[in-house]
Amino acid sequence: MTFDFVEPVVFALLSIGVIAGGVAVVMLNRITAAALFMAFTFLSMAGMFVLLGAETIAAFQVLIYVGAITVLILFGVMFTKFSDAPRALFFQRQAPLAAVFVAAVAIPVTLFSFSFTSAPPRPGGGDLPALATSVFTDFAFPFEIASVLLLAAMVGAIVLTRRDDPEEAAMRRRR
Amino acid sequence: MTVPLGAYVAVSAALFFIGCAGVLVRRNAVVILMCVELMLNAANLALVAFSRKYGSIDERGSVFVVFVFVIAAAEVAVGLGIILSAYRNRPVVNVDEIHQMKG
Repeated sequence: MTFDFVEPVVFALLSIGVIAGGVAVVMLNRITAAALFMAFTFLSMAGMFVLLGAETIAAFQVLIYVGAITVLILFGVMFTKFSDAPRALFFQRQAPLAAVFVAAVAIPVTLFSFSFTSAPPRPGGGDLPALATSVFTDFAFPFEIASVLLLAAMVGAIVLTRRDDPEEAAMRRRR
Repeated sequence: MTVPLGAYVAVSAALFFIGCAGVLVRRNAVVILMCVELMLNAANLALVAFSRKYGSIDERGSVFVVFVFVIAAAEVAVGLGIILSAYRNRPVVNVDEIHQMKG
């Protein structure tokens, strides 16, 4: 008895999770629920990475997207107050036009993407050794640039959200 | 029977266009940020699928996914910073009403 049917079934379940979560993010009016559905989409995507044999990427996905980015966005939701907009103000005015344009591009591209076929599978094994070798040899310089970019983004986020305290500014002027 | 590459790319394209529709259609700035994250993640799925199913022996595509993770984290931090500072200036998150910098 073989278990060949397991992979397509798992793939179908995960793709339903990804698509349904994405649609829920776009359609739901409650922002907190939308953020949690976004986390659900990211988790299903991590499952797809495992199915593809990219376990390291799946671990990064859970740590960074499900862990960090979802929590950051939930903080953003809590810091801003959302008035319950009427249904008419929920979407942009040009929503029908945008939907037509997106559908006109999306449907041909999605149908076309089915035509990709894969090369014969190569010998297995985890993706971590090859990934680490690439990152620290060919991509060492971009890797360092990425770390500088993260530092700049961190400092920039602090500067953007820092509250200018009037007393502190007055003290600085007196000095 | 394994899942063909085309199925992964189709799911990736579908999620990308869902995120694209969200960016075009929604008015809430935080939701627009979430939809941008969905689009980045869809691109990640396409990169990993092509890298695993069609790539050479080294994991070039997965390296790009790692860089996309870095950019996504930086983008969310700076984007939320901009949204929060605009919100402090004027308490709205509706992108139609944030037009102070319009010429």
